[in-house]
Amino acid sequence: MGIIVNLDVMMAKRKISLNELSVRVDLTLSNLSILKTGKAKAIRFSTLNAICVALDCQPGDILEYANDNDARTTNR
Amino acid sequence: MSKRNKLVFKGLHIVAWVIFVGLCVEAGGLIVNFIFSLYKPEFVQHLYQKLDLSQMYNISKWAFFGMYSFILLISILKAYLFYVVIMLTSKLNLARPFSNYVADQITRISYCTLSIGLISYIARQTANYLQQSGFAVDTLNQFWGDSQAFILMAAVVYVIANIFSRGVEIQNENDLTV
Repeated sequence: MGIIVNLDVMMAKRKISLNELSVRVDLTLSNLSILKTGKAKAIRFSTLNAICVALDCQPGDILEYANDNDARTTNR
Repeated sequence: MSKRNKLVFKGLHIVAWVIFVGLCVEAGGLIVNFIFSLYKPEFVQHLYQKLDLSQMYNISKWAFFGMYSFILLISILKAYLFYVVIMLTSKLNLARPFSNYVADQITRISYCTLSIGLISYIARQTANYLQQSGFAVDTLNQFWGDSQAFILMAAVVYVIANIFSRGVEIQNENDLTV
């Protein structure tokens, strides 16, 4: 899929740990980990809203679209 | 899961075990009879459940072994079917029923049931043909009397298996929604 989750990048920018984010967003560590590693199949608006509030960012900062071919090249 | 459901499942599990043991005894008896009939042809008139196929054996050994193979195959498949049912009832978790294991087992049940139905149907048609040729096959009808019921059941179980497979996909999707 062409959607890339840049949660780890935003967390690094804001210098916030996964534990702290999970407390602020009220989400379990495992669910946050699923989101961070890109294994998630869907994200609720409420979750996205909570993450944006916690990290003080826009949804576009967390989610990014890349063409599948581009994504593969980037991964290399 | 409610208390009544637990009780019903426990009951089903016990019933499945009882039927499985019965079918294993039948299949085992038939296999032992088959081995005996290979080496001691006089044993053919004292088969499992007072089955007397000596007339068929004397007229044509091919007909005897063919029909007996059908009987054996059907009883072994029935025993296997109940083995799968036992596995399913023992590992089914009603709190989270949509798992790959359950979907696979239900699909296996449908294939097994379809095989039993089709083999029973072919066996019955063969028995009818043999009857027209002068063989006494009335005593064999007990082994394949319900072929249509098995085919119908296979169709229903196959539909349920497909619904379950879709349910597993939805469950996975739901699990991976954050």
